[in-house]
Amino acid sequence: MRLVKPRLVVGLVIVGVFLVLGVIAPLFAPEDPTAWNTYFRNKPPSSLHLMGTNNLGQDIFWLLTWSIRNSLWIGLSVAALATAIGVLVGMLAGFVGGFLDRVLTLCMDVVIAVPSLPILILISALLGGNASLVIIAMVLVIFNWPWPGRQARAMALSLREREFINVAQASGESTAKILILEILPFMLGWALANFVNTILVAIAAESGLAIIGLSSLKEATLGTMIYWAMQHQALLLEQWFWILSPILSIMLLFIGLFLVSTGWSDYFATRRGRQ
Amino acid sequence: MHVIRFLATRIIVYLLVVWIGVTIVFFVPRFVPGNPVDAMLGKMMSQGTNMDPKLVASMRQTLTELFGLEGTLWEQYSAFLTRVLLTRDFGPSLSYYPTPVSMLIGRALPWSLGLMLTALAISWTLGNFIGLLAGYHNKSIASKAIETTAMLVYPIPYYILALLLVILFAYVWPVFPFVFQVSGAPGTWQWMVSVAYNSFLPLMSIVIVSLGWWIISMKALAIDTKEEDFVQFARYRGANDNKVMIRYVARTAILPQITVLALSIGGVFGGSLITEILFGYPGMGSLIYKAILGSDYNLMVGAISLSIVAVATATLVLDILYPFIDPRIRYN
Amino acid sequence: MRKQLLVALVFIFAMVLSACATAEAPAADSGSAAPAAGAMTFVGTPRNETLILDNLGGTLERPDFFNPYAPGVDMGRGYHEVCLDNLWEIDTTTGEQYPALAAEMPKPLNDEYTSFEIKLREGIYWDDGVEFTADDVVYTLQLGLTNDKLPIHGWSVDYLKDVRAVDKYTVIVDTTRPQPRFSKDLGATIWDATRFWPVPKHVWEKEDPTTFAAFPPVCIAQYKYSKHDPNGNWTLWELRDDWQRTSVGMIKGKPGPKYLLWNFVGTEEKRILAMINNDVDILQDITPESMQVLTNRAPQVRAWHAGFPYADFDDPCERGIAFNNSQFPYDQWQTRWALALATDIKNVSLGTFAGMLRVSPLGVPPVAAVQNTYHKPLVERLLAMELPDGYKPFDPNFAVDMAKIFNEQGVGGDLPTSEAELIDLFGVGWWKYDVEQAAKLLESIGFTRDANGKWLLPDGTPWKIAINAPVDFEVQSGRLAFAVADSWSKFGIDATVNTMTAGSFWNASSTGEYQAGSYWPGCAIGPDIYPNVSFWHQKFIVDTGTPAPGNQHRHKSDKIAAILDELEKVTSDDPRNVELSKDLLMQMALEMHWIPMFGTSKFVPVNETYFTNYPTADNYYEGPWWWWSNFKFIVSQIEPKQ
Repeated sequence: MRLVKPRLVVGLVIVGVFLVLGVIAPLFAPEDPTAWNTYFRNKPPSSLHLMGTNNLGQDIFWLLTWSIRNSLWIGLSVAALATAIGVLVGMLAGFVGGFLDRVLTLCMDVVIAVPSLPILILISALLGGNASLVIIAMVLVIFNWPWPGRQARAMALSLREREFINVAQASGESTAKILILEILPFMLGWALANFVNTILVAIAAESGLAIIGLSSLKEATLGTMIYWAMQHQALLLEQWFWILSPILSIMLLFIGLFLVSTGWSDYFATRRGRQ
Repeated sequence: MHVIRFLATRIIVYLLVVWIGVTIVFFVPRFVPGNPVDAMLGKMMSQGTNMDPKLVASMRQTLTELFGLEGTLWEQYSAFLTRVLLTRDFGPSLSYYPTPVSMLIGRALPWSLGLMLTALAISWTLGNFIGLLAGYHNKSIASKAIETTAMLVYPIPYYILALLLVILFAYVWPVFPFVFQVSGAPGTWQWMVSVAYNSFLPLMSIVIVSLGWWIISMKALAIDTKEEDFVQFARYRGANDNKVMIRYVARTAILPQITVLALSIGGVFGGSLITEILFGYPGMGSLIYKAILGSDYNLMVGAISLSIVAVATATLVLDILYPFIDPRIRYN
Repeated sequence: MRKQLLVALVFIFAMVLSACATAEAPAADSGSAAPAAGAMTFVGTPRNETLILDNLGGTLERPDFFNPYAPGVDMGRGYHEVCLDNLWEIDTTTGEQYPALAAEMPKPLNDEYTSFEIKLREGIYWDDGVEFTADDVVYTLQLGLTNDKLPIHGWSVDYLKDVRAVDKYTVIVDTTRPQPRFSKDLGATIWDATRFWPVPKHVWEKEDPTTFAAFPPVCIAQYKYSKHDPNGNWTLWELRDDWQRTSVGMIKGKPGPKYLLWNFVGTEEKRILAMINNDVDILQDITPESMQVLTNRAPQVRAWHAGFPYADFDDPCERGIAFNNSQFPYDQWQTRWALALATDIKNVSLGTFAGMLRVSPLGVPPVAAVQNTYHKPLVERLLAMELPDGYKPFDPNFAVDMAKIFNEQGVGGDLPTSEAELIDLFGVGWWKYDVEQAAKLLESIGFTRDANGKWLLPDGTPWKIAINAPVDFEVQSGRLAFAVADSWSKFGIDATVNTMTAGSFWNASSTGEYQAGSYWPGCAIGPDIYPNVSFWHQKFIVDTGTPAPGNQHRHKSDKIAAILDELEKVTSDDPRNVELSKDLLMQMALEMHWIPMFGTSKFVPVNETYFTNYPTADNYYEGPWWWWSNFKFIVSQIEPKQ
């Protein structure tokens, strides 16, 4: 069996392309592509404007690169924070147990029971709809840590009974040390898969908010790009580059990330199986 | 004794979850700048009406009293808890005053339940069945094709898929209605046909989006289960292939799927906002959305609490029933 | 695995293709579709006898609720348009009122304007066959006086002293204070009367008026309730057999189509597609881009103007940016003026509604009746107006410049050529776009710029402006906020937009907890502007954080207050009314109490497949206000197409 799955490679290539588009390309944007009326409106693609310009006088290609950058930023930061918090809290709850476990589990259950979309809408109303991307990301973190949290707790619970943990405890190692040195390594593979999945969830949630006009509309994200295109009837006016480029980007990015996530799980499972 | 202690703890946790959840939903909207009185006055003024300042001031006073928004937050909260605990009544809606919240929810809920439970039933059954077949025969080409398709459809953001469905099947090739318009008197045959016809596209959009997930996860579970010792053992004993698949693999692999199903059923009570907006379908999602737009505290608390109770109950029932379904798990 | 990738690519390609096919297919068969003879609507009425209107209120949660005095009622979907009626209705071409249910305008019985006689039209009947009399009027006015749970109660007690019927058709009303504008308080001006709709006493007196659902509604105008959608998307109204026994029947002598159907079809894309498919006759309000879709695909549809710029500019409220004028730095006139001069108004117009907007430098909207009374005669004074440092800010060339831009873009073919006609269309002019003068004003009160050219407040911190904007309603104001923020950003101010839901948007306005907002505090419909501007009096100012009873923008000015005090005492037809109002508007402009920018543009497209003789710019017998109470008079003129 080959060590690296082709699925993982394809996924990594797609994600790599998006990283180039979203991280490196924006640096070359001639000016702020979110400004209105920078260029003539509704120009077809040309060597000057790779994807043409839109009804707001923005260059669609550069706008797209900025959108990808911001969407990736949201996805990555939310996924990193939510996974980190979830894993740490879950491990702590599962390993320490007792009263602390009860309280932490209760917290997770409450957040899971409260539907997130209404609260997201409320919070963006609370912030006057001017929620910066940072704040939107924070809110998404709040709603996305309990899921990995619960799983991490379950894993920690079962690991706690293992021999080597008991040995470590008997030899007087501190809880923090055991958690980090003994338990965490077992969770890394799963945590990475969860991390990739949360990127998807976060990007989808932000674009969902944007579609109903409650994300940070002055900022370029894939969601707000769709919002403005829909607002200006790009679909019915057949301004394809404007409306389809963010939609196809989301689809491709999602497929790429999904391939990476499942590919990674397989790869990890295979490697673990060999040990 | 063990069982009773488990049940008691579990029910206390359940009540705590519901109480904290409802409390959050009570307070968060009240910290949001915006209140039902101004939303209502603003709505009147934005229609271009011409109201003199005195009229505005006196209406604000009357409405504040009428809506029970006088007093501190704490007083409002205790009044709310007393009313809900004693009469199980969420009071009148504020945006649709004096219509009771229960009446609005009563109208929207059957639509949400009907649509989403049907979608869930179809996608769960179909998805698990396909997933099982694909997982059990995971070397076949059909299996690979199914997985590829599922993998490509599953990550498409829901609203984009739904929008494409509307455009393709209601506009380009108009086989399904473009607008949700039910005809006939409720309960009649004509009405039922009309509801089915009108609900088809929204139903399909949800089924397609969730089907992929059920297929992918069931396939993964089936592959794992298939390799387990007891399945291999059954096979060595010479049981026929279909029997092994159904009796041994399906029975075991379905357990985690039941967990997710239960949680999904809980989520049904919140409706689906995007479906409802895109298809013009009546339901809880748009009711909650309107409540938020109009700062309708009572309606918001009523509708969202229902969803919280539903999710919490689903989890509770699952935890209690699990040992009966899965003999490997005991109460602890 | 390679196979999988191939399948993936093919699949994506197919998706793109199918999406592209979307646009091609419908373009071919749309538009030319001739009305099918004998076609029926989905509610079972003949299509050519059913006028279908877009329902502005969206899906109703309570479609069977018709109590006009309850806070949660929806007056749209035909209810106040063709079922209820007013004592005095508005003629939107002149901005003057005329008697509808009343037989004549109210007669003041004393010189103090505290007692009035209302004569009712004889022979008007409710749709259940009971005659409409003075008792109904007295009963309805008493409702507000006696029920402290009705929102109208506070106003009633404050305004009305006594109400009594003298005979079957005569009512005497005594007010607590002089009310020289009595008919405007009880009759319709903009949109509808807001305090008084007569209800049938014989139905209501048996019910509790605070919770009564009034279902099915008993109508007094020429239509009666037929049926509605339990899911709240549509309401059907049917012409009364005895339509002659209504105000419209007596005044106009003809009724309108047999059926009126208010129907909500959903998101904006759906609404336009429905119109292309001839499933809607009148759309209430859409964006310029949607209008473009309609002109491309539906030759049977026309807007207010048959060609560019399509929109009707006569909506009685104007849009712009208002501040909380009690908070630094917006309490300084220099700041507000600097922001006005830093606004690239032509680009803002293009960015907001593709230039299909009429400018207004004054605090009342540039609707024809108002523009002729105020904007045009005041151009001389605007040109001569000087800021305290002697700078003359007015630029009269907006209309001509816009026409030039449109001609360059190649869309100006339908535009008039004379300057006078262009001014009628695009307005008398606006403030200069002069960033140097703006910078000078800011520097004069201590603002500085950092190395990147960004503005710093006098205390050295960066200047950030957040502009409040409505998110899912009032598209024009929402877009205006973004366009203005864009303009100010280019001037070096960190300007952002707060997109807000209705509740937060209005709450911020009333408590003053905001810096700037895309509000519309400048409304008026005719020469008598006092009722619409009286709220600017400084006596209504309260502290930021407390809901304001008026003057939400907290503009303090002794001079404005003095003129308003004078105006309150003058009746509408007094010639001093207009002169004082002119002084008021000039004073407001000089103080830049807010930054008025554009009148509201409404595209209001109509479908001429089944019906004709809609009011339009070429057939201007009324404004296109389908959602106002005077629609019952407009609809009587709409005729089936032969």
